[in-house]
Parts: sequence; C-alpha cells; structure tokens
Amino acid sequence: MTSPVIELKNASKDFEQGGRAIPALAPTGLNVANHEFVALVGPSGCGKSTVLNMVAGLFPPSGGQVLYEGELVADLNRRVGYMTQKDTLLPWRTTAANIAAPLELACRAMPRSERDDRVARMIELVGLKGFENHYPGELSGGMRKRAALARMLVYDPDTLLMDEPFGALDAQLKLVMHEELQRIVGDGRKTVLFVTHDLGEAIALADRVVVFTSRPGRVKKVREIELERPRNVYRVRFETAFGDLHEELWNELKDEVRKGTDA
Amino acid sequence: MSGTTTDEVSMTGESAAPGETLCKLLLHPAGTNAARALVVIMMLAFWEFGSGRFLPHVWLSSPSVIGVKLWSWIADGSLGMHLVATLSAAGFGYALGALSGVASGLVLGLLPRVERVASPFVVALYALPKVALAPFFVIFLGIGLESKVALVAVTVYFLLLYNTLDGVRDLDRDLTDAFRLMGATRSEVARHVLLPGIQPWIYSGLRIAVRYAFTAAVLGELIASNQGIGYLIESSAGHYNSSGVFAGVFVLVVCSVISTELITRAERAALRWQR
Repeated sequence: MTSPVIELKNASKDFEQGGRAIPALAPTGLNVANHEFVALVGPSGCGKSTVLNMVAGLFPPSGGQVLYEGELVADLNRRVGYMTQKDTLLPWRTTAANIAAPLELACRAMPRSERDDRVARMIELVGLKGFENHYPGELSGGMRKRAALARMLVYDPDTLLMDEPFGALDAQLKLVMHEELQRIVGDGRKTVLFVTHDLGEAIALADRVVVFTSRPGRVKKVREIELERPRNVYRVRFETAFGDLHEELWNELKDEVRKGTDA
Repeated sequence: MSGTTTDEVSMTGESAAPGETLCKLLLHPAGTNAARALVVIMMLAFWEFGSGRFLPHVWLSSPSVIGVKLWSWIADGSLGMHLVATLSAAGFGYALGALSGVASGLVLGLLPRVERVASPFVVALYALPKVALAPFFVIFLGIGLESKVALVAVTVYFLLLYNTLDGVRDLDRDLTDAFRLMGATRSEVARHVLLPGIQPWIYSGLRIAVRYAFTAAVLGELIASNQGIGYLIESSAGHYNSSGVFAGVFVLVVCSVISTELITRAERAALRWQR
C-alpha cells in the first residue's frame, strides 16, 4: 500500500465546556489510502465529525497529529472538498451562481467561458438542468443536496469530506443520491471520508467501514467491504454478503448506540 | 413565487350572497384601491362640510383652504425652496449617517475586542434622545443646513450601526467556513458572504431610518431655522395659520411616504431571493 492520503496519529480532541475539558475523541489512529472510500459510523456525539473537521483544518487536535499527504494539517486544508448535513449554499445566489462560486476565487482564476462550461457540465451531471436560475429557497431538499454536491465537485478536489450529507433526505431520495454519488466519485476516482449514522449507507458505499465507540470516540472495529464494484445501490442491500456485513457491524454498533442513549 | 393567487377572484358565483360578493370585490386590487379612495373622499367631504359648522375653522381649517394655501406656496416658489432645504437636510444627513453607521457596525462586528471596549459608550449614546443634542448643534454649527444634517446623521447613524452589527452577528458561520475551505481569502469571504449576507439587515435599517431622518430634519427646523418645511409649519403656527400647518404636514407625509416606498422597492429588487 502506498502512503496514506489522510493519517491520524493518536489524534484526540477535547472541547471546553464550562471551564472543563470534555473529551470528544480519544487518541485515534486512522489511515485513508489514495482513492479509498472510508465510512465512519458510530452513535451521535462520538467524534466522527470531529475527525472530519480536523482533516479539514477547522481546528487542530488536542493531542497527536493529523496529516494530509504526509504533511501536518496546520491551517485550513484547501485540497479537500467539504459537504455537511446542512447545505451551505448562499441563499442570495442562484443554483448556477452557487456552483460557480469556488471558480470565482482568486486561487483558481480562469476565463469566464471555462467557468461557465464547467458549471454547465456539473449542472448536467447532477441533474439540475432547468433549475440554473432558481434560488436555494426555491429548490427541494434533494435538489439543494445536488447543488451542494456539484459545488464541491466543480473545482475537482482530490479528497471529499462528507458529514452526513444525505442525513436530512427521505429514504428513497437517499438511494437516488447514493447512486449519483457512486456514479460521480465512485469507481476509485476520489478519496472519500464519509461520516454517517446509517450503517446501510456506509456498507453500500464504502470500501472500508470504521465503527466508533460512544463518547469519547475510539475506533472499535475496522471492516473491509468486499462487495464487488460497481455496486447497484438498490440491489446490493438484498445480497447475502450485505446482510452478513450488516449483522456483523450492527453487533459492534448496537452496544455503543445503547450506551449513548443511557448517558 | 406564490401569494398572488388570492387576488384572483371569480366574479361569476351565482349563489354568492350580496355580502360575499362585496367581500370578494374588496379583495381584488382594484376594489381595494377604490375602497381606499372612497374612505379618503368621505373624510375630506366630512371635513369640508363640517368646517365652520361643527368643526372650528380657526383650528382645523378645511381641505379647500389648505389646498389653496398649498397652491399659493407652489405658485410663489416658496414651497420649492423650503422643500429643497428639508430634503437636503434629510438627504445629506441620511447618507452621511447611513454610510458611517454601516462602516462602524462592520468594524464593531468584525473586531469583537474593539466592540467589547466601545459597547457601553455606544449603548449610552444610542439611548440618548438625539433631539437633546439639537441645541448643541445649533450653537456649534449655526441655524443653517449644517446643524440639521448633523442631527439627522446622528439619528440615522445609530440605527444603521445596530442593524449592521446584528447582521454581522447573525451571519451563518458555516457559510464563511465553507468559503474559506473552498480557498477564499478573507477579503473574498467579506465580498461573497459577509456583504451580501448583511444586506437584508442594512435595507431594513435604511427603511426605518427614512422616517427618523425626516423627523430629525423637521425637529431641527422647528427648533431654530429660517427655512425648511419645519420652519414653514412653525411660522404658520406662530401666525395662527392652521391651513399653513396642515399644508406643511401634508407635504411631509408625501415626502416620507415616497422615500420609504423607493427604499422598499430597491429592497425588494435587491432581495428577490428572500421571496
């Protein structure tokens, strides 16, 4: 295996709360290889999102190290695309203008015609044709997700950090988005670190699933997902291998979820 | 974009009771306007008819006399001159106060440490009724335009300062983080996220401030001046000329309504995304 793109070396995180340090993430080790799709699952508040935030460089770890392509993440990590549960589209920009936003920044200066081309291709890719001039407030939840996905992909970051990106969608729409995501970034073209509390989603999409314990989070189990690619996100759930994996990982997860609700 | 459908009312309901039909007529935009015009006409007619009968003409004048007065002001050019004085005071003060208010609000909003130090002073000055400063401005700047501009500017300044500050505080941190992760510099975050994001707050401040700007300008003119609509009202009152007072008030209402409407339209055009 080549050197990992993302590497956590005993990285931990405490949050200040009323003058006390509350541990959110216990010292954790985690490697994500180039073009690997890794899903993090665990009960609420187990520090999964904290991992993403540290990889994105939004805050440093309290202990240990977070490395990206072998370098310490010291500042905002601009080589990643980040998509959160809450879509961060600008409400005053139309769909097309929102997707164009990353390309308007000085760090990716490009001629207007190229920008328009790339935005148009993205809109086509995520199926938002006809909604270019709608404001986010006029789009459905699923369309806003597509727009957010397109905005992240339009500048072609090597690594995608996704924090429950489809959490707020209904079950059917989620499946549609899974298929889109797989079509666009699957087949080993991007490195993806994907946080979810939906075990089925994790197994259907990922090459590897990492199960976290309840707070303070620790890696409890890492499982390779050997399901063949390309996967059919609708059918894969009915394969016996999928059922076995779900059973196995749910056994790891359920105690943690219970502990989380008792606390 | 919905919300206009309720205005479309069918007039063909055969079984509709007369009262119901009337209600529907009033809901129609044209019907609403007709009803409003009717109210105005009835009030003016009541005023005109009652004046000198059961309404004392000396205090309440009458619409026709007020109209004649207004016309004489227009004809001899005095209305134009006084209107220019008031509009300049309100306009310059408004522009000055709004610009500096937004700038100060941005500074305080973006530099929390400065805000923490300045906060009690700002609160004290904000709480102060600005009219109390009018005599100071008169002795400092004279009875001309400058003292009115100053009074208006101070009044508008705090409105815009607080609205801008609230806007900066209300700004969604997730939006700024998202832009910084995309690679935006601080100035790009300011241009693409901060400035458009506080626009609704600034517009609502601007809209409210129109009224205060006119109030402050007229107050300044009432206190000490030799021109302006406020002066016109004050001098008419000094001569027990009630039609002059009403004519002046009428002009002010028209100015304030038109200005507020202009701002509201600009706001609606700029904030189309808010629906």
